[in-house]
Amino acid sequence: MGFGKYVGARVLWAVVVSLIITTITFLLLAAAPNPAIREAATQAALQGGDPSAAVERERELRGLNQPLYVRYMDFIRSIYTLDWGWSESRSQPVTEALLQALYYTAQYSIPWTVLTITLGPLVGVYSAANMYSWRDHVATGFAFFGYAIPNFFFGIILLLIFGVWFEVVPISYDTSAPVFSLQNVRQLILPVFVLVTGSIGATMRVSRNESAEFQNSDFMKTAKAKGVSPLRAYAYHVMRPTMVPLSTTLVGQLLALFIGSSLLVEVVFGIPGLGRLTFNALISQDTNLVLGSTLVFTFIAVVGNLLEDLVFTVLDPRINYDDR
Amino acid sequence: MLGIGGATALAGCSGNGGDGGDGETGNGTDGDDGTDGGDGEDSGTDTSTYATAAAASFTTLNPIYNDENGAGNAIARALDQGYTFNADNEYVPLLYDMSTEDGEVWTFEVREGLQFSDPYGEVTASDFVYLIQEVHQGGWASSVSATYWTGVEVEQTGEYEFQATLQSPQLLWPESYEPLLYPIPQDLLQPYVEEEDAEGLRQDEELLELQFSGNLGPYVLDEWQRDGGTQYSRNDDYYLQDADDLPDVFNEAPYFESAEIQVLGEQASRLGALETGEVDSAAIPPERVQEYQDNDEIYVNQIPQPYNEKLSVNMRDNGWTTGPGNMFRHIPFRQAMAAAIDKQSLIQGVFRDFAETHFTWQPRFSNFYPPEDNIPMFGVGDRYGSEYARGLAEDAFEQSEYEYGFDGETMVDPDGNQVQLSLYHSAGQETEQLMGEFIAQELGNNLGIDVSIEAIDGTRFDTEYYTTTDFPTPERNEEGEVTSVPDELVDTVDGEEVEWTSPTATNPGPRNITGNEDWDMEIVYGLNTFPRNPLTNAVFFDGATGSYNPVGYYPEFDAQTLFDNARQASSEEELADALVDLFVNIAEEQPYIMLAFPDSTVGYREGLEGPIENFSNGWNLPAWRYEQ
Repeated sequence: MGFGKYVGARVLWAVVVSLIITTITFLLLAAAPNPAIREAATQAALQGGDPSAAVERERELRGLNQPLYVRYMDFIRSIYTLDWGWSESRSQPVTEALLQALYYTAQYSIPWTVLTITLGPLVGVYSAANMYSWRDHVATGFAFFGYAIPNFFFGIILLLIFGVWFEVVPISYDTSAPVFSLQNVRQLILPVFVLVTGSIGATMRVSRNESAEFQNSDFMKTAKAKGVSPLRAYAYHVMRPTMVPLSTTLVGQLLALFIGSSLLVEVVFGIPGLGRLTFNALISQDTNLVLGSTLVFTFIAVVGNLLEDLVFTVLDPRINYDDR
Repeated sequence: MLGIGGATALAGCSGNGGDGGDGETGNGTDGDDGTDGGDGEDSGTDTSTYATAAAASFTTLNPIYNDENGAGNAIARALDQGYTFNADNEYVPLLYDMSTEDGEVWTFEVREGLQFSDPYGEVTASDFVYLIQEVHQGGWASSVSATYWTGVEVEQTGEYEFQATLQSPQLLWPESYEPLLYPIPQDLLQPYVEEEDAEGLRQDEELLELQFSGNLGPYVLDEWQRDGGTQYSRNDDYYLQDADDLPDVFNEAPYFESAEIQVLGEQASRLGALETGEVDSAAIPPERVQEYQDNDEIYVNQIPQPYNEKLSVNMRDNGWTTGPGNMFRHIPFRQAMAAAIDKQSLIQGVFRDFAETHFTWQPRFSNFYPPEDNIPMFGVGDRYGSEYARGLAEDAFEQSEYEYGFDGETMVDPDGNQVQLSLYHSAGQETEQLMGEFIAQELGNNLGIDVSIEAIDGTRFDTEYYTTTDFPTPERNEEGEVTSVPDELVDTVDGEEVEWTSPTATNPGPRNITGNEDWDMEIVYGLNTFPRNPLTNAVFFDGATGSYNPVGYYPEFDAQTLFDNARQASSEEELADALVDLFVNIAEEQPYIMLAFPDSTVGYREGLEGPIENFSNGWNLPAWRYEQ
């Protein structure tokens, strides 16, 4: 199988995976009690009506009296036509809610991701090149500090120092700030810093240990013997093989951080992004929105994994897909 | 903004935020915003924007469907409601004046000169009548105010006048907030009414974005950023500028060029924003009040509230999980619990003295607070302490068919094991957690009960423990009249057979009908005590079948007759007299173990004029301004 075919097969597989996940989600939703129906029953009871009749009406209105397969087909159709329904907790269409939240999340998560995947391995390799020197210890200390300190706590402390005491950054997030403006940089610098310090540690440590393996390898010795400059030697002969195992875990790690830490950071810095949207959707039992954000994360994971596999071939020419 | 912050007050139940919050004083009655703050002048920020912070985002800004206090404040910036109450607790007409002779027929006079945005024209009586008859009473829309208008006959009697006839006289009808209406254009509602399209009405963009608000609010809503907050600009045509029946200060209101409400979920962020002048006010947790009182740029107001802190004890079958025979059902036992908890120490230790003691179902500032000589004051003075509480508990043991007792200092069940009870509080609420620990300690020291404290999410506690929708329902004929009641919905209360004809999630039936999970005690929720119209408390105490009774309380006094007598009163004085017996009995029976009324402590930027240390705080919000 050539590279083109492999990519095609992987994309098809991605579609199958997303279908399986949406099907499981549908079954879980179908089995769970619907809060809207509970609400209708309560309303009816409060108004002296008949709760069971209200439940029937509500079921009919929402098409829940249809057979399961009909509902499933409707569900799948609306998923793939982007008709994801109405978010009750935000009073707007789910797709609009997700796009809006994504707009604010992207503004800090793109710089965050870029900085993490560039700075992490760089500092790691630098650390390995200067192993057990004071530079290595500083870098390692920094990595462990960032990894150990809880993001939300670090965020509050930085906000206190730079926002309240020195007043160099605003406390509240201004949604009307233009994306490419100094104002936006000022209000995003702390969340990005907090997130980078939180995520860089693991990447840095892995790349440090990986590259330690390569810097004494035969090909590195050969390069040195041929008079290759240290910068070039590290960039081409250490960094590149280091990135291969690293990239297998990167997407998963970043996704986990994305959901977990971005919520807390968004709460602390008041950013109306995807983390808060997902959390609020969950606690307010806004099923349409929960489903929507699940799909977004599914999509990111599936595409991320696909890209990861493709990046292998670029990083490591020994991997090819010809024999598959 | 003048109007009433949210109809939520009527729901009776408030998440017991304790310290959580947006600075909203949250009396649920006055569109009052404790949160309110704008940019302070001292720190060099401009005073042209009135900025406040909210702790949670808004579910909807559709006035017909909003039932949240926070969103009520956000709507109020751009859309007034019918009336409000001033600092002296007097009715202040905004959109309409209300008058009555007998409390049964009420005349609404709509103010002239009220304008919707184009193309809807002037606000007239027909807009209100249409809203009431076709939406609230229509039976299809499930609007928040629907229950308030059930059985009320409404008739338009002039271009700017309509009448409402109640089923029985209610002298304090305005004080119940039930006749409080938003102005909504008839032409906007019509297509939904014709189609009976509740979903369409709920999702209507003009309603959600308040695009029809015309001159009806001090500001115009520019943007609602979900999870981010709302932004407004000054409404130059605000109708109260021309009102001659209000203080002159309204002639130029509002005094800010713009307004905003920022959603800042983290308390530290809200307080930081207050300190730097990014917002003009924020709620201050009791333990940090002193710090802000010492800050030259901020002043702190202590605002009395009608929301209580109480300990619910579960008298239903899923309560008293420690052994047989639910002791919470015996009045002396509940009194013993009230007597075992030192209210003064609770207030000093947990609320840092920013709270009042709570003995009966009214706060002290209420006009209906009964004479204190009549009320048993459990938990203070002679009625506090181990010996006294144990005496009461012994009385309760005698009433029980099971052999509970004391083994030395320890309360033991019939098998001789120590009585162990669970106490739930909201996860992440520090004040609540402290209160829970204090209660556990007091019940341990004074009654020998082993209390375990559990943190839980408020929504989960509500759906799985406190309420249930899984209850039997009576059969009804086509007219909706009850024809037969299942046996599960019948119980003997105080020697009489009682039927639950309208079970609700918050009172799903007799004590045998319960939530999914067992629980003994909770401090998750605080309740409103409705000081402006105490008759509203009928939802809690009007017999065992009251619509809000998650704890399964069966009054052992004739609550229904006392409420009926109070309803017959022809003056406020008569009403106060009629209510004395009711409040004395509630203090005696302790349906909930009443503990304290925490004040709302709100910090404002120095120089902001308008906030008052009164339950009506915020009634004149459009007239708030910075000293020149």
